Amino acid sequence: MDTDQNRAVTRTFSLRGLTSSPFERGRTRQTDDVSGFNMPAPLEIIGAHKAFRSPEGATVTALDNVSVKLAQAEFMTLLGPSGCGKTTLLRTISGFETLDAGDILIDGKEVTNQPAFRRPVNTVFQRYALFDHMNVARNVGYALEIAGKSKRDIQARVGEMLELVGLEGLGQRNISQLSGGQQQRVALARALAAKPKLLLLDEPLSALDKNLRQKMQQELKTLQRELGIGFIFVTHDQEEALTMSDRIAVLANGKIQQLGAPDALYTKPANLFTADFLGESNLLPVAIERGVATLADGQNFPCSNESAKGTLLLRPEVLRRTAPSEPSLTVQGTVVASYYQGKDCLVDFESPSLGALKANLREFKSLPERGETVSFYASTSDLHVINEVSS
Amino acid sequence: MKRLLSLYGIAFFAFVYAPILLVVLFSFNANPINMMIWDGFTLDWYRLIFGMETSVTESSTYIDTTPQLYSAVRVSFTVALTTTAISTVFGTILALAVARYRFRLAGLYRALLMVPMIMPDIVLGIALLIFFITIGMNLSMGTIIIGHCTFLISYVFVTVSTRLAQLDLSVEEASADLGASPFQTFRKVTLPSIAPGVMGGGLLAFIISMDDLVITYFIAGTGNTTLPIHIWGMLRRGIKPEINAIATLLLLFSIAVAALGLYLRSRQK
Ligand SMILES: Nc1ncnc2c1ncn2[C@@H]1O[C@H](COP(=O)(O)OP(=O)(O)OP(=O)(O)O)[C@@H](O)[C@H]1O
Ligand SMILES: [Mg+2]
Repeated sequence: MDTDQNRAVTRTFSLRGLTSSPFERGRTRQTDDVSGFNMPAPLEIIGAHKAFRSPEGATVTALDNVSVKLAQAEFMTLLGPSGCGKTTLLRTISGFETLDAGDILIDGKEVTNQPAFRRPVNTVFQRYALFDHMNVARNVGYALEIAGKSKRDIQARVGEMLELVGLEGLGQRNISQLSGGQQQRVALARALAAKPKLLLLDEPLSALDKNLRQKMQQELKTLQRELGIGFIFVTHDQEEALTMSDRIAVLANGKIQQLGAPDALYTKPANLFTADFLGESNLLPVAIERGVATLADGQNFPCSNESAKGTLLLRPEVLRRTAPSEPSLTVQGTVVASYYQGKDCLVDFESPSLGALKANLREFKSLPERGETVSFYASTSDLHVINEVSS
Repeated sequence: MKRLLSLYGIAFFAFVYAPILLVVLFSFNANPINMMIWDGFTLDWYRLIFGMETSVTESSTYIDTTPQLYSAVRVSFTVALTTTAISTVFGTILALAVARYRFRLAGLYRALLMVPMIMPDIVLGIALLIFFITIGMNLSMGTIIIGHCTFLISYVFVTVSTRLAQLDLSVEEASADLGASPFQTFRKVTLPSIAPGVMGGGLLAFIISMDDLVITYFIAGTGNTTLPIHIWGMLRRGIKPEINAIATLLLLFSIAVAALGLYLRSRQK
């Protein structure tokens, strides 16, 4: 444990030594303790506010009291619907937008009012934003060239980076001679060349086709683990977010709705928005009294929530056709439609007492027919009640 | 249909290039009196321009104007090079300002910058002359340079603006993101990206400045004869065969400048 931490510290220091030169003019506000073992968070955002004026004159709140603290070497994803403020949050971290209120600390140093070029973070842009008047090698070495490194150092580092992203030997190519996936890798290598403490990625995979995208997801994740630096990754693809992240921040209307590990967010969402946004869901209102939640059809199950009213989240895949031995809920209905999807099967059905529901079956002998009456069971340990009711 | 189109093509090129070819042809015609009558091949008119021995004898019908020609070429080059430098720099800065900074009336500003391009030369010439007289400025090479700059800045502005419009803004952000100061970003990313536009604008300004007759005529005053004014003067004193040689050389020069532009642009890529 101790040696592990020691190694982590030396590594960070060597990273710092390399990154600090072009950026060292920043004000310092160290928040770590002197022992050095308690390293400052790579990123801390405190109460960020940002509003835009739309051309029509209305005010759009893009960030509303956003606070986030990134752990060492954490992969955090910003997930949310279009226009929720993901790009804006990323741009305030990189320095392309200034906050109306709030503070940003990178590696313990306050950078709130620092221009983008002085901040020790690098970005992988959505449309790559490669310099097409330079070849691949110069693109990758750009940050080092700017930092005034020697030709030999740059060349060595560029070689290293190209190898890291699997583009050995393509250094002399023009950008226009690369495929989309290769350009993506150049953008990644370019952003990593100066060894940033923190890498920001704005929907970096959205322009790639599905296969390449899945491959890159795995590669990015592996890379992040190997480099041991923080990643802030923007996406509106929830599957991508669930696979890649250590933690996900779900955003809506400029607010963080919930911040947590993917499985916690998926199985135990704190609010309706998160429950609905992540995956498929059946949301059923319940009344809660003395530790018992009661559904509209009178069925009840133990529930520890404090509020008097709540919403039961019933994920389609917790519904089964066979009754489990442990206590369970039963839902009955008429099949409206069923879809065969290879490894599973999706059933839309209508319950007379609970309304339209969906079930996702992994094990099924035959596809339920339209009009068939079906019963599904969910064990009470798979149930999660949200302290919120839809209006 | 296809044949008709190719016929049209031939007719078009003949229409455009025949007069030019005639000028080139006449510049080698030995007949000193009537250039419509071919009198054998000669390089005399070129020799005359370059001050070499010729068989052309001075007579009452022929007065050698070579010294004035040289002086006109000098004036034209000085004016063209200076205006090119000034209008390229200022036209580029204006294009950057209008493209990069959102300010009120940017649209009006852009429109106003286009006006000198569509303004009739004669109006611009008169306006400039009146302006210089009003502020009490003596007509000189300086007034020609100022006058040329007023409309050439617009040409550079337009060519650079077109290029800037194609430039992805996020490239400049990427540069800043990688640690480049605004000045470094300009030098290493923005300028190289718009260089073909800047160069194109510069070459255009140079050629237009070299070539302008009408506006220059108003604001040149005496003693600052540019090449076009000199040629115009020669014509008024009767067409002399050496004019064909001068025109041919000008043509060659323009082709060379254009070729240089194309070459530099292709090397850019
Ligand atoms: N420069 C700007 N001027 C005015 N409004 C802006 C500006 N930038 C962003 N906005 C507004 O702020 C809100 C958040 O935008 P942002 O780009 O952060 O969304 P996003 O989450 O990245 O969306 P997407 O998934 O579509 O990329 C939107 O309502 C957007 O219209
Ligand atoms: Mg966005």
